[in-house]
Amino acid sequence: MKSVLLPSDASPFVAIRFLFTTGSVDDPAGKEGLAAATGALLAEGGTQKLTYEQLLEALYPMAAGIGVHVDRDVTVVQGIVHRDHLDRYYDLMRQVVLTPRYDTKEFDRLKDDQHNALVAGLRAVDDEGFGMESLASLLYPGHAYGRPVEGTVRGIRALTREDTEAFHRTRFTRDRLTLGLAGCIPDGFVERVIGDLGALPAAGAPRPSLPVAPAGKGFDTLVVTKPARAWAISLGHPLSITRADDDFYPLFLANSYFGEHRTFNGVLMTKMRSDRGLNYGDYSYVESFVQDGASTFAMPNVPRRRQAFTIWIRPVAAAHAHFAIRLAVRELRRLVREGLTPQAFEETRAFLANYSALWVQTPSRRLGFAMDGAFYGGKSLVDELASRLPEMTVEDVNVAIRRHLDPERLKLAVIADPEGAKGFVEALAANAPSPVSYESATKPEVEAEDLTIAKEQLPVDAARCRIIPAETMFD
Amino acid sequence: MPGAASRTTFPYPIVETVLDNGLQVVAVPLDTPGLAAHYVAIRAGSRNEVEPGLSGFAHFFEHMMFRGTPRFTPERYNDVLKRLGADGNAFTTDDWTCYHVVAAADALPTVMDLEADRFMNLSYGVEAFQKEAAAVLGEYNKNASIPFNALFEKLHDTAYTAHTYKHTTMGFLKDIEDMPNQYDYSLAFFARWYRADNAVLVVAGDIDPERVFDLARRHYGAWRPGVAPLSTPVEPAQTGERVARIAWAAPTLPLVAMAFHAPAFDAEGIEGHALDVLAQAYFAPTSPLHKELVLDRQWVDWLTAGAEDRRDPGFFLVLARVKDVEHAGDVRAAIERTLELAGSSKLPADRLSQVVSRLRYGFLSGLQAPDQVASTVCHYLQLTGATSSIDTSFATLDRVGAADLSAAAMRVFRPSNRTVVTLAPGPTGEGA
Repeated sequence: MKSVLLPSDASPFVAIRFLFTTGSVDDPAGKEGLAAATGALLAEGGTQKLTYEQLLEALYPMAAGIGVHVDRDVTVVQGIVHRDHLDRYYDLMRQVVLTPRYDTKEFDRLKDDQHNALVAGLRAVDDEGFGMESLASLLYPGHAYGRPVEGTVRGIRALTREDTEAFHRTRFTRDRLTLGLAGCIPDGFVERVIGDLGALPAAGAPRPSLPVAPAGKGFDTLVVTKPARAWAISLGHPLSITRADDDFYPLFLANSYFGEHRTFNGVLMTKMRSDRGLNYGDYSYVESFVQDGASTFAMPNVPRRRQAFTIWIRPVAAAHAHFAIRLAVRELRRLVREGLTPQAFEETRAFLANYSALWVQTPSRRLGFAMDGAFYGGKSLVDELASRLPEMTVEDVNVAIRRHLDPERLKLAVIADPEGAKGFVEALAANAPSPVSYESATKPEVEAEDLTIAKEQLPVDAARCRIIPAETMFD
Repeated sequence: MPGAASRTTFPYPIVETVLDNGLQVVAVPLDTPGLAAHYVAIRAGSRNEVEPGLSGFAHFFEHMMFRGTPRFTPERYNDVLKRLGADGNAFTTDDWTCYHVVAAADALPTVMDLEADRFMNLSYGVEAFQKEAAAVLGEYNKNASIPFNALFEKLHDTAYTAHTYKHTTMGFLKDIEDMPNQYDYSLAFFARWYRADNAVLVVAGDIDPERVFDLARRHYGAWRPGVAPLSTPVEPAQTGERVARIAWAAPTLPLVAMAFHAPAFDAEGIEGHALDVLAQAYFAPTSPLHKELVLDRQWVDWLTAGAEDRRDPGFFLVLARVKDVEHAGDVRAAIERTLELAGSSKLPADRLSQVVSRLRYGFLSGLQAPDQVASTVCHYLQLTGATSSIDTSFATLDRVGAADLSAAAMRVFRPSNRTVVTLAPGPTGEGA
């Protein structure tokens, strides 16, 4: 067991995080969704002493919750509470982690919810999330990384209450645990928590293997059809590095320049939204990114042992889909070919040095970032950037780009309306021109560039394009 | 109200002033080393969109505010913020529009210079205007696959007949599609509402209030006052239940929304605070209805209720997501029974005190970072114009008694004051 402790008297709150290195990678074959079901049953299944209803009742006046988030490689149980309530609150959290109830009624309810989250949520009404998961299925075929944490329809159906009990016993073990505490931690509290965690088994099942990145150039294209007013588009390819590698940090800077999440800084945002009004936003990533609530910042505690480079094109009008993909690929090709200028490098470095300090404004987030650092064997991302950015050079960045980004082996996933899907794929495979016109006035230089973009050649192979209906994905 | 009003809830000091031009400036020093949040609230939202055909303009205008001034082009504005590593954005609601920046505390002079400049000197051409209109349509499109958005659109459109709350903040789709043609109106919108006496500046974090006021006088002092008069149409009392249905093409879970017209926010108003308590007591995860519908019968996977804080009468809203369309009618009936019960029964005192504790600690737990503090202060300021309304509101909450709860329930949860909108998959939306 590792522990990360960040005591501070600046806040009247205490943040607690238990990070286990178990997630959907641990789902047994045929039981896809088991990690998620186990996590849900911890959060909403009660404890041996308390039914879920009693647990809710106990938490209610504190305005505190016990959150469980299951990702591919990790599961975090976390919460934050005012110091007035710490003793009572921690007692509840201890029970949730050590002695869950595995209640049949709650299991049935949560299993049903998990099925609905996949069938009536992701596949039905979350086109952008669905697009990203569809891309993951291309990046990691046949591996747990390639399907949503919720699992598959068949896998969820096969889950039993006993499965979750066995999963908890063999994966929520001390060798997989990092304990995190932050905020106004009282004297003796750390020792008490560590003592309690001794009740977990020392070890259990071995950790499963990682996906093998598919080789080869050329696009794999997956068009998933469902009623869609506008089309969500995701592109990407696996990376061989993570925060544990030196190259990650210059690549992280390059990505900030190219497509920083929810800002107007990025090349993609400028070209696609600001210049052309194609959609609401366009971003890129060099690691898995989950937005924390309504903020623009990454949620901590979703680290992964393998990462991917991805581009997120928010829904565009069907008539603009082909053009938008061409534009994104063209800009990526330019990035790889030309790299950052010294000026762009300096600007982005200055931005990241200050911006990253904003990612850790609360004790809970500071703690989460520090624990992720421990996952990768280093410091928090914010601290790594603070120590690495001053030494970094534009050459480091441009070398990292050329070494790790490759526009010719992108995979493409599109959530498309059934009506236009076939014509879209034919045009894509034929590299047919995709001229674009706008309702509104456009700068002459943008219009001139559009003529070239409309003919940008993509390495699409008709034999590697598939159109499949939404209801067959993750079935 | 013996003793109650003296209790303070807001945990930080508030220091405030009003500039000669009417701009309210509020500073909240916090123990957040090196960080500060700069929030400007314009007291204009979709509520101000009184002209037919021009819904959605407050939100659209929020986008235009990023389109530059003679001093700072959009590129230069973004470059400066980028160099500071600031997190800047904006959002629009029914009642107000918020422009927020969080940055290193020592960047405050630059942030204020940059922000004040665009409130006073915004300048853009037709082309930029039309590109941004396309981005707004893109935003509508991105939201279009989400059933809740369709539900809220229909709910507002059905429950209101005259007031501007009839449309959502995004606006009616036909108006969004017409936005590229409304360049001149956009200039008028700016001239009417973006005035010093219609705005609030809140700075929270690692700051010295006097220095904040000095900077505000220097940068915002020349902002002209002169907000236009606004007369929002008065919504006539609803005299009969209204019902609408939405058919959804994708296989989503059915939704049931039930809305009642409720009083406008009033920090001293007992009825509004009683509704806050009712929402918790009868619909929170510890309520008997949640136990029945979510945990025991398992007909519903999501149940929530709340009274909106609005400048004009908004909704008390109950929302349920139903797992199977065949139970939608039963769910609706169970919600109606609960609302009747709220009027006819007396909430036990210990339950009431748990709810008040919950609301108070929930409020406090949302005040951990400078942006959360600034945003909360803005919320109350745009509603009431006074920072004291935060503590007043919680003091009022302390005064709510069981009799207030049943009285509020009896008055607000009348069937004739009710609008029900359901959404279900399939060609007709039948069943829900």
